Formats: sequence, C-alpha cells, structure tokens
Amino acid sequence: MKPGLRVALFAVAVLCLVPAVWHVAAAMPPFGSETAQYGMVVNKLGPELRHISNMVSAVNFDFRGLDTIGEEFMLVGAVTGAVLLLRGSRGENIADRADVIAGRAVVGRAESTILICRVFGPLLLLFGLYMALHATVTPGGGFQGGVMLASGLVLAYLGEGYRGWRRLVGSRVMDLFEGGGAFVFALAGLAPMAAGAAFLENVLPLGKFKDVFSGGLMLIENAGVAFAVTGGFTLLFLEFLEETRVVVKGDGGAEERR
Amino acid sequence: MSVLLAGLLILAALAGTGVVLSREPRRQVFALAANGAVLTLLFFALQAPDVALSELAVGTAATPLLFLVALAAMRIDRQR
Repeated sequence: MKPGLRVALFAVAVLCLVPAVWHVAAAMPPFGSETAQYGMVVNKLGPELRHISNMVSAVNFDFRGLDTIGEEFMLVGAVTGAVLLLRGSRGENIADRADVIAGRAVVGRAESTILICRVFGPLLLLFGLYMALHATVTPGGGFQGGVMLASGLVLAYLGEGYRGWRRLVGSRVMDLFEGGGAFVFALAGLAPMAAGAAFLENVLPLGKFKDVFSGGLMLIENAGVAFAVTGGFTLLFLEFLEETRVVVKGDGGAEERR
Repeated sequence: MSVLLAGLLILAALAGTGVVLSREPRRQVFALAANGAVLTLLFFALQAPDVALSELAVGTAATPLLFLVALAAMRIDRQR
C-alpha cells in the first residue's frame, strides 16, 4: 500500500470514528468521580450473595465467569502456539541438554546478584502463593499470583544459573500445570451441569465472609487459573530462553558446563 | 484531581513519550519497563490494586524479559 493511500485511509477512519468516540466519552462520568453504579451494585451483592470481600474476583470468577473462561483459553492457546513454534524446531526430548552457543560471551554474575536472588526469590514465591490463595479475600488472585510465581522461578535462573533453573522447570510439570489448570477451570464449569445446575453455577458451600476458603466454586476456578498462568508464563520464559542456547542431544545426565 | 494523580499522569505521559522516542531496541525495552512501573503506581493511586499487580507482573517483568530474550536470540541468529 502506498503511504499516501494509507494516510487517506487513516483520515477516513478517524473521521468515521471520532464522532462515535466523542459521543461515548462525553457520556462517561467525569474523571475521579465516585464509584460507578455497576461497582456499587457489585459491592452490595458480592458479600451478600457470594460471601467474598474481593469484588474483582467475584466479577471475574462468578458474575462474569464465562468471560474469564474465554480469556483462560486464549492464554492457553497463545502459550501452546508459542511452545509449538519454538519447541517444534528443537524436538520434544526432555533428556536433551542446553549448552552455551559457541563463541557467545559468558558474563559471570556478581555475588550480590546471587545473594539478592536467593533472598528475594523464595520471598517472591511465597508472596505469589499468598496472592493466589487469597483471591477471594484481598486484591490479586490466581493470575497475579501465577505471574509472580513464574517471575520468582526466573530469579532462580538469575541466581543459580541456567542449568539449575532448566532442571527445575524443564520437566513435564509445567506442561501439566498449563493444560491441567485450564482443564480444572472447564471442569468447574461443566461439573455443576452434571448436578443439574447451570454452567459455572456456584453450587459449592460459600464459606464464611473474609475467610480464605470463602467463595465456593470460585476457589477451584482460581486454583485452575493460578496453575495455568504459572505453567504458561514459565513455559514461555523457558521456550524463549532455550532459543539463546544450543541443544546437545544426550541423556541429560552428563555434566553441563554452565 | 489530587496533586499525586496529576503528577503520576504527567509521569505516565513522559514515560510513554520516552518509549516512543528511544530508537535502540534494548533501550526501548527498559523504557517500556519504566512505563509499566509508572502505570503500576498510577493504577494503585486510582484504587485499582488488582490491575496494578497485573501491570507490575506483566508490564515490568514478563514482557520486557521476553523482549530482551528475543533480541538476544536475534543477535545470535545474525552472528551465525
């Protein structure tokens, strides 16, 4: 497409869109105004109907749970696609070793880096677990906790080196997390149907308000998301980082250099 | 609008401009991470801790890491 034509198309698109966007923007409540009506309704109904105190989770996993299941499978699809593309050229054998590419400079890590990673890695993992477990009580949830868990595992790479990290996450466990998490979420939708309720209907006991185990079915959906996100992001990190290494066919037992 | 919000909005605009104006890919990745950090603070100040946490984890840690690794992989490929 010629640049001139492209600019003309852009101008036409802007002319068409601006009135519509302006119309919507003008009808929005002013910046910084008090909570919108939908928020008030959710704030009122959440504790009453679902016994949970984090309304974002109530919306994500219950009131609009169907949307979240869609997002969940989008994430699984994206990660699976990336893994297929990257792992496809390398092969499936987990016994293979990753070695440093010949001629590539190896920069050693400072002792302070190792110290920081050893101190903050476990702390980050712990905080990620806390966040994933307390989805129905405090801000955060399975997604945020899952990304933190994956990031905490990356600190193991920074602190302990590629070899240790790869051995930690390069097994089938993360594959299982990724697929199993999405499976659990789908099952949480389908199981109530077997009992005669609607898809994703919250049929489990709701528990006590402000308790970790409040929210009923939401806890299971949240666990599914936590597993899928931890597995998904870790797989992404691993498959990307493997691109900067060279694969050595082998039994995996031999000593790696770095 | 409080001074805090105004300051954070200006910071967000500056950080975003920084991302656009940095031309060297590696610098751009760090500018992107800085922009993510500013957005995290802004979301937190706007009382959206859930979104702030997501932005912090995805915008300042996960995405920049993947970009950096992709840049490294490209450089390795070119050397071969």
